[in-house]
Amino acid sequence: MQDPRLRLLSVAVLSLAAFASTTGAVAALAWWLIFTPRTKALPRPGVLLSLFVMIAATALVSAWGGGPGLSYLVRMTAVLLLAAWAYAETEEGEALAVAVWALGDRIGFEIGLIAEMGLSGLAVIGEEIDQMRIAMALKGIRPGVRSIVPLAVTLVVTQIQRSDDVARLLVVRGYTLGGRVCPRFRTGWRDVVAAFSAVTFSIFSSLALRDVFILLGRIF
Amino acid sequence: MRVEVEDLRFSRGPFTLRGSGTFNAGVHLVSGPVGSGKSTLALLLAGLLRPGGGAIRRDGVSSALLLLQFPEHHVTSPTVAEEVRSWGLAPDDVLARANLSARANDDPFHLSRGELKRLTLACTFMRNPDLLMLDEPFSSLDCTAKRKVCRMIEERDAGITIIFSHERAVLPRVDALWEIEAGTLTPLGHVPDAIPRWRHAPPYLRYALDRGARPENIRLTDAREALCRTRG
Repeated sequence: MQDPRLRLLSVAVLSLAAFASTTGAVAALAWWLIFTPRTKALPRPGVLLSLFVMIAATALVSAWGGGPGLSYLVRMTAVLLLAAWAYAETEEGEALAVAVWALGDRIGFEIGLIAEMGLSGLAVIGEEIDQMRIAMALKGIRPGVRSIVPLAVTLVVTQIQRSDDVARLLVVRGYTLGGRVCPRFRTGWRDVVAAFSAVTFSIFSSLALRDVFILLGRIF
Repeated sequence: MRVEVEDLRFSRGPFTLRGSGTFNAGVHLVSGPVGSGKSTLALLLAGLLRPGGGAIRRDGVSSALLLLQFPEHHVTSPTVAEEVRSWGLAPDDVLARANLSARANDDPFHLSRGELKRLTLACTFMRNPDLLMLDEPFSSLDCTAKRKVCRMIEERDAGITIIFSHERAVLPRVDALWEIEAGTLTPLGHVPDAIPRWRHAPPYLRYALDRGARPENIRLTDAREALCRTRG
């Protein structure tokens, strides 16, 4: 999907639908299968697998306590796949462009800048985890529960320091509030079809099945 | 004890690293410009990257350690003392050697890059592995600290030490020279015979060679002595 505005819209409505109900999650999964490159547009298997394991563990605990564990698993898996696809497709500068397009040069620029910094931070975290793995391998430390806490602390501290460095850099360069960006977007017909389908899937999944047939009967 | 590199080939994007040669016991200097593939070769020799073709064989090497170029990449613990313990070492000895005894309870990221480099260097040398690989060990250090690192390298009386560096001012005494440029590793041979073939030789060595001097090794003192001998 070329147009980041339609990508954001699709992900937002489908994520809401998936989070709201299992039917919405099934609809979101169907949309993901039809309109995305599926496994070709996902982050590294290790990252995705660890996130899925966390969701599965929570679902298992929920099911063990008599809660809707299976529904939670399906809904969160759909949200995870949509988020992974959107993250993989997003290019540098798109978040800033969409925010400025939607909210203007002041608030939009601020929100867009924060979003861009957050996205680049995710990529940096991935690189830092790789470096830590190498450091642990060199020191002969086996990855395990005991090593997670100090590693997490190191990761958080480095991220805070990086944010501080970026903030100082912005001040040094004279940044105060807002900025000028002239966003340009390319919208293909596939983007429009996919976004329209996302909205349709989301609306239909939020209705009771009986209402869907009544609605379709009135349309056709 | 040796490390054999046989028809090594490793590709990442448009970059390809190739080379062959044997690292015997002693000190080896692999020099080359920034981006030539030195760090990639270090990671391959350390077994942290897999070659796409060829082989890297270790013979008689029971322990190996790589000092990474950026010292912050070694940090896995929230205090300096715990960081030393994460290397399997006692903090007191290491911190004394790194001249950081007063910083034991500090966050490693509150050290300057030079201090952190001194800490990681002290840890790697105290571990004393059979195969020690040092990726840019002189970066972030002042001249005094660089000379101290040179002494530590020269005092290692056993094993294989491989230095990957583009340093051209303060260098230790070495046994063999290698060059790497645009991803191609070339063994130049043993010192002093290899020195005239060394294209990345520091300016003081080039100056001595241009005046007909034949330095015994690659340090500034070696170049000076050779010039003195030539002038009589």
